[in-house]
Amino acid sequence: MIIMDNVALIDDILRKGAALADEAEVFFSSGKGISLELKGKLIGEAGGSESWGIGIRVIKDGKIGCSSTNDPDCWDKCLESAVSSAKLSTPQNWEGLPQPCSLPDKNLDVFDKDLSCDLSSATDLIERMLAGASGTDADIVGGSASLSQGKTIIANTNGVFYSIEKTGAGISMETISKTSTGYEFDSSSHIGRIDPEKTGHEAASLAVFSKEGKEIETGIYDVILSPVAVCQLIGSVLLPALSGKNVNAKRSFFDGKLGCGCMDTNLNLYDDPENGMGSALRDSEGVPTRRIDFIKAGVVSEFSYDLKTAYRYNEKSTGSAVRAGAGGAPAIGTHNIYLDGKREDIFDEKAVYAHTVVGAHTANGITGDFSVELSNAAWMENGEKQSPIRSAMLSGNVFEMLKDIDGMSQESRVLGTVIVPALRFSGLSVVGN
Amino acid sequence: MEEPGYYDIRHVKGISTSIEIDNGVLESATNSFSDTAIMRVLGRRGWGIVTIENFGIKTKKEINEYIALAMRYASVTEEEVTLADCRSGILPMPKIKEDPRGVSLEEKCELLSGIERAAKIEGIINTRANYTEGTGTVNFTDSSGNEYSYEICRSGYSVSAVAKKGDVMQAGRESEHNILGLNLRHKENKGLSAAERAVKLLDAKPAKGGIMDAVLDQELAGVFAHEAVGHASEGDLVKEGVSVLKGMNGQKIANSIINVVDDPTLHEFGFMPVDAEGVLPVRTEIIKNGVLNAFLHNRQTLAAVGNGDAGHARGQAGDVPLVRMSNTFIENGDSSYDEIIAECRDGILLKGSRGGQVDPGRGVFQFNAEYGYVIKDGELSGMVRDVSLTGDILKTLHNIALCADDRIMNPGYCGKSGQSVPVTDGSPHILLRSAVIGGQG
Repeated sequence: MIIMDNVALIDDILRKGAALADEAEVFFSSGKGISLELKGKLIGEAGGSESWGIGIRVIKDGKIGCSSTNDPDCWDKCLESAVSSAKLSTPQNWEGLPQPCSLPDKNLDVFDKDLSCDLSSATDLIERMLAGASGTDADIVGGSASLSQGKTIIANTNGVFYSIEKTGAGISMETISKTSTGYEFDSSSHIGRIDPEKTGHEAASLAVFSKEGKEIETGIYDVILSPVAVCQLIGSVLLPALSGKNVNAKRSFFDGKLGCGCMDTNLNLYDDPENGMGSALRDSEGVPTRRIDFIKAGVVSEFSYDLKTAYRYNEKSTGSAVRAGAGGAPAIGTHNIYLDGKREDIFDEKAVYAHTVVGAHTANGITGDFSVELSNAAWMENGEKQSPIRSAMLSGNVFEMLKDIDGMSQESRVLGTVIVPALRFSGLSVVGN
Repeated sequence: MEEPGYYDIRHVKGISTSIEIDNGVLESATNSFSDTAIMRVLGRRGWGIVTIENFGIKTKKEINEYIALAMRYASVTEEEVTLADCRSGILPMPKIKEDPRGVSLEEKCELLSGIERAAKIEGIINTRANYTEGTGTVNFTDSSGNEYSYEICRSGYSVSAVAKKGDVMQAGRESEHNILGLNLRHKENKGLSAAERAVKLLDAKPAKGGIMDAVLDQELAGVFAHEAVGHASEGDLVKEGVSVLKGMNGQKIANSIINVVDDPTLHEFGFMPVDAEGVLPVRTEIIKNGVLNAFLHNRQTLAAVGNGDAGHARGQAGDVPLVRMSNTFIENGDSSYDEIIAECRDGILLKGSRGGQVDPGRGVFQFNAEYGYVIKDGELSGMVRDVSLTGDILKTLHNIALCADDRIMNPGYCGKSGQSVPVTDGSPHILLRSAVIGGQG
């Protein structure tokens, strides 16, 4: 019933929009969710939410205007605001919103029909996480479980109408043992694919393991970054540098490096829009998605584009437009990022192992320079963590490091929409306390 | 239906404006409209919470239905909750100089564009400027009969410039945010200063890491006050045992010259006339003459932990209120800036901030300065870039040897549990002995 109303509303907006501008587009999103918060090891908060929102975009004479609202009664004011916003923007080359076309008949596997946003499913996740964490002397200080279902629609005046439904399950747990902290998390589109016992167990084990850490001498070491630490650093530095907008605006390390073999020959980095939680057959402005091979065997091969940036720089959209909910205008983003290459055993030779880093967002996104504090760091040797390191600051340059990777672990970890292995580097600077 | 022990509703209706200019191109100038409410209901043990979009005006019957729904959620919660009795009330709003809502979007675009253009100097290859303005009408009601309503407009801009020479690229950035009215006029000098810094950084050397004495400028020392002291003093973290300050009340945790305050009543960017639980905001002296004096609390953590003041509950529109900082600062000391540099003798001056992060349970913080200067024989010498500071909160507080008398407040946003709230950090210049400095030089 509600779905029919929304479709009628979208049609209405597009019809009115077509009369006021050359083209119009509606991005619709709605959803519901339930979440539980642990306070210590007890459930302290239980909450539910329903969301609804539309983002309207209009284009007139190459001028683009946007607005958004979460009030269905406000849509005409929102359309009016998008039209006046277009009047202010700088005109640019614009060759039109996407056209309808046939899409591959593929199940993206992002909707779990067995996932229900109910209290008992969420409490079950919490109980299983607590069971996983029991039996250690770590205190549970917090945690959460959330379940969600959502639908998005992208529709435009050319007749594109693409709708996708997704589900999500997420858990996290925070622990402490004396002044040693641990944190773990898991998420998936399918409730059966997250492992609450493992998340609970890992969170507790991290705090316990790091309890009696020894200081490390300042010096140059071999360092292994866990998949989480790799994800933190590439998310802050590497991924923004591959956006076609940053490259063409000359604020990316990769400016002028298309076709250059300036990364390790064992490094492949790609976006696969059909394999992971972030999957979609059309991006959030309706362009059909495709695989993007950013880095192929160390060679910088492609950058990502949305329509606006592609038209401006005489490129083609790579189907990379994403939105942060209905409120945001489309911008260049990623669907499912994979870092891949030849795999090997990287945990045998002695090295400093970093589980996570503190302060990845303070890295210099333009130059790639960073220095971060390590969390749950350890000496790694013979395939296992040997002894904990109390505190260590790691300094380096993300781009320099990726020129010379010592090795990639056998297994990758799925971290939401980023799927990466652990990476081993030599000759990195570590400052002890 | 089982009666709730307490409930409150915080409804925020707002319009947000954003302007983005990238290399002279006006990318977007947008108004968006939102209407969200959050209801918290206290069940027998713990909170049931309902987020409601398009809250609008609700009838008594509709409100009762939401209460019943929230009570159903609260049926699975397990935590005993006591709410401290606190003074409810609202502070008067500050006077606005020039109301941003009275200025057309077109004029704001022109003013922002002027700031961005000022950053186009020789050596600069890219400039960007953003303006954000959010007006929210906040309505608070609770089951004890408290009702408050206020409207606040927060606005500000940022400008950044990228410089390039050969293969070397560097960026400079300036930003200002406030609650006292439009701040876009006559700010071209800020665009210029972002650009000049980016150009100067091209010749700066990477900082050399190691343990050394450091002088922190007002902005970075303010980040220290916020990240290292402020977060660790948040009552929810203390209550759950994830703060190194837990159980240390009344103990000497810092050099006696150190006073750290959180004051939501100041008319800075972190100001709020009433907190998200209807409590009258108060100034809280976290560290007084080096002694841990008070924690920041909401009603629940005050009842559970004690030692401190409620009135520090804040939440994003549609989100649960958490214990948050507002305007957090280190008080002035009695040294001068020159004395501090001279006293440092050999070390490093750290300037500006690219942000920071803290693990309050472990007591470890990390932050990054925008740039710095090597201090040699008590004088500034070469400029350095990409320099960071990490440390142990308690050790560092004892190692602050001097505070200057030149405090400045810097506005920004702080993230916690996925919520972002406006805050201000501040400090005078401080001298920090045996600081752990990171850099690649």
